[in-house]
Amino acid sequence: MRWTVLYLRSRYAPAALAASAASVAGCWILWSLSSGSRDVDVRMVVLTVLIAVAALTATLGGPDDELDHTGALPWRPRRAVHLAVALLVVAAPLLATLVTGARFGPSGLVIRDTAGLLGLTALSATVLGPARAWFLPLGWTLGAILFPHTEQALGRVLTWQSQAPDDTAAGTTAAAITMTGLIAWSRWGPARRVSV
Amino acid sequence: MTRVLHTELRRSAAIGTTAILAVIGTLLIYFVEQIYFADGWMQLAMTMRLYLALLFPLALTAGAWQARREQRAMVAELFSTTPRPRAQRALPVALAMALAVVAGYLAVGLAGAAWIVGTARYLPAAAFAAAGVGLLALVAAVWLGLAAGRLLPSPVTAPLLGVAGLASLLLIPGATRPRGWLALLLSPIAEMNVPGPFQTVPGLASAAQALWLTGLAGTAILLLISTGWRLRVAAVLPVALGLALGVMVMPHESRIVHDAIDPVAKELVCTGDEPRVCLSRVHAGLLDEVTGPAREALSVLSTVAGAPQQVHEDTSTYSPDVFPPRHTDVVLADIAVGPDARLQNSDDMVANILFNALSNPGSCEKDSGRPDAMAAAFWLLGREPAVPGELGQEAVDESKVLWRALRRLPADEAAARVAAMRTAATNCAVTDGTLLGGGRP
Repeated sequence: MRWTVLYLRSRYAPAALAASAASVAGCWILWSLSSGSRDVDVRMVVLTVLIAVAALTATLGGPDDELDHTGALPWRPRRAVHLAVALLVVAAPLLATLVTGARFGPSGLVIRDTAGLLGLTALSATVLGPARAWFLPLGWTLGAILFPHTEQALGRVLTWQSQAPDDTAAGTTAAAITMTGLIAWSRWGPARRVSV
Repeated sequence: MTRVLHTELRRSAAIGTTAILAVIGTLLIYFVEQIYFADGWMQLAMTMRLYLALLFPLALTAGAWQARREQRAMVAELFSTTPRPRAQRALPVALAMALAVVAGYLAVGLAGAAWIVGTARYLPAAAFAAAGVGLLALVAAVWLGLAAGRLLPSPVTAPLLGVAGLASLLLIPGATRPRGWLALLLSPIAEMNVPGPFQTVPGLASAAQALWLTGLAGTAILLLISTGWRLRVAAVLPVALGLALGVMVMPHESRIVHDAIDPVAKELVCTGDEPRVCLSRVHAGLLDEVTGPAREALSVLSTVAGAPQQVHEDTSTYSPDVFPPRHTDVVLADIAVGPDARLQNSDDMVANILFNALSNPGSCEKDSGRPDAMAAAFWLLGREPAVPGELGQEAVDESKVLWRALRRLPADEAAARVAAMRTAATNCAVTDGTLLGGGRP
């Protein structure tokens, strides 16, 4: 227990959780106030997932990753659990909104995008370091929201974030990114010695 | 100042920002949808403005990322002890980031220019104004990002700002409806989609947008150098002033850009020698490609009584409908520029001109008798109607029947009927049955 508390503190978890929850709550309030429709626009749903995931990006590294690395601890399962908890932290409040007046759905899309974006962020953190880990998810997702392509398979793969939840190409892409990110970050952890 | 700017250019996010904007912008203008800027420079300027939809949020994000540099390096406290005015420390960074976004945007422009430089000739001042507004939008965005990153120094600020920027661009048209002019004033991407060949951005619209964006940039700079609440409150002034001036300057109409036509772009540019072939100024670079098929069409037509002597581009624009004047010695050609910035319909050009010579021009009330014109055109060419063009398959089948019937007639008779088609076409009198008379065979 003590280890868990210390780990969470060293990963800036309180601030990150607060930011993630605040962004979901903020989007929920924004939609409730501005729209008469109960079902939230799919672009807004994807953007909400994106912000919530970006808020958790800081937890993917600590103040001194070199030092952590020297700790004789089984890091791999712990990092995998970290990502699984992050998935829950983002997806659970969004799925909970399905019973409220502003529904962030469909649930398949929320889970696919949360998992995919978390995987992408984790992969970026492994390569670029946690400080820059949101670059690629942000740029890619903004592009996918603005210019969703639905006709060709390549277009659906490249804009997987904004495809319908039952789209196989998008689902496969998200799953592949999730697994790659999960394996890479669990295996190697955040990139070390990156310049600021 | 030069030395510190030089240092900041290397030590800030400037180079990365330029690279990201240039690469993403180039990918966007070429690959996201079809190439919208094949017609010319104005279309390139407008297409680049359209894709600010993504570049604008990215510039905001880049600014906010740069603003947290000292926190990331854990020297923020140390630097805050520097006995220098805040403005002196903030302005070189602001300048470096502004140069970065300007360079990135210009690089996208160069990448687009490389595609059309062979054929694009007409470079109106309005294109520079439209591109300048785009530059100003990016500078305002990156400075706003710097200011927001300074006021809210959190790791989430940068991505949040990017998302908020995109969301506001998406929401502006809906939030300002039905005042389309307000959306045009506030959003640098409004009304920039799918520019037509003769499209322009009116100078007043660009001026109003520039005023608003300058105000926004001024506010951002004041927030960036502010150290107390007084300056932060005063920072509202530039943006309020910019908005007020922009609202005053912008014409209060809807579809200001969508309906704007550049008359100079429509003016005809002709070949020096006879028979004359004339294209609009914006398409003048295609003259060499068009002249061959156009003259071939004229020589095929020359056997017909009352044949036209010149080929002009059809410069019609719609809503409001403006058609080129009708002359009996002129036949119109439909010019379409393909994605490769060359003439798209070069294979059909001869048939297209023959068809236009034998059917009612667009300025007539009726567009009837099109299968007849098609059959007559292909009779002149001596082959079966094959090119669907703008006609549907049904009309092509119909024209094939007519074509066969025309071929069965004696040559003199058929030639007389085709000549009658030409006479009818110059009088807007072509109807179904003009070619072979009465009902359908």
